[in-house]
Amino acid sequence: MAHSLSEACTPLKSEYDSCFNAWFEGYLEPAVSTTPEQRTKFSNQKAAEYEEKCGKIWEKYRSCVQKAVKDKQLDALLDQARQENPLKEPPNDSSTNKASSS
Amino acid sequence: MHYFSQLFNYEHPWSHVVIGMWHKYPNPHCTHVVTVDVVDRSIDSRTGIIRTERILGCKQKAPAWIVRFFGGSEDAFVREISFVNPATQEATITSVNLSLSQFATCYESIKYAPAPNGHTSFSQTAEIQARMALWRSAADKLEGWLVQRFEQNAHLGKVGFSDVLRSMWEAKEQQHAHS
Repeated sequence: MAHSLSEACTPLKSEYDSCFNAWFEGYLEPAVSTTPEQRTKFSNQKAAEYEEKCGKIWEKYRSCVQKAVKDKQLDALLDQARQENPLKEPPNDSSTNKASSS
Repeated sequence: MHYFSQLFNYEHPWSHVVIGMWHKYPNPHCTHVVTVDVVDRSIDSRTGIIRTERILGCKQKAPAWIVRFFGGSEDAFVREISFVNPATQEATITSVNLSLSQFATCYESIKYAPAPNGHTSFSQTAEIQARMALWRSAADKLEGWLVQRFEQNAHLGKVGFSDVLRSMWEAKEQQHAHS
């Protein structure tokens, strides 16, 4: 697995990535084949399972990486990019997710 | 503005490609990507859509003039947001540069969707654009500075030449008066 931008976070990142990947591999195929009626129930259950399995290590890794982002002075750049294009929803079309070119 | 696009198929089913997405780096073919970090992730408990925001750290081998001119460093960072929608079997990845973003933006969009015969289509577009407003304001500042320098030099030129003329002709006139 790739390293974290801070070596101090790499062990936490590896642990988190392994947890997420294991969960995701068990999630994706059943998520594709679930029926529309069952989707909400299934998603709910899987989201809870992810939280239970990976929630703790995610919190640890996240606080480590947040500090690293600040230390590398990427926080202002990240905030600016988030403001220009929050991307909270999937883009409908590649032409609709342009940043305002100011 | 410059565009780039490409479209091809991977000979793997969509779910394999999407699981593989998280294992793309490190990659001996893409050694420029050296760090990958998840900075935000959410799983929509209604739709099952997974949104992931990552920061990729790259070693850019920028030409020396770019580093000199823009003051960049060897490390360049990219913000990447991906959505995996199992209901529609669509995975989209949008990336934008964080480094040097005050000068230019490189927007990349990738989409993975199922294709016939259990393959997966990959479509990629990128738009590279310099921030014109910034160039304009920088150009305005440069012009303003040049005008100021020109005015100063023009003034000094006038003062300087007046001195030359005065001392030259005053001396001649004095000589003339003495002779």
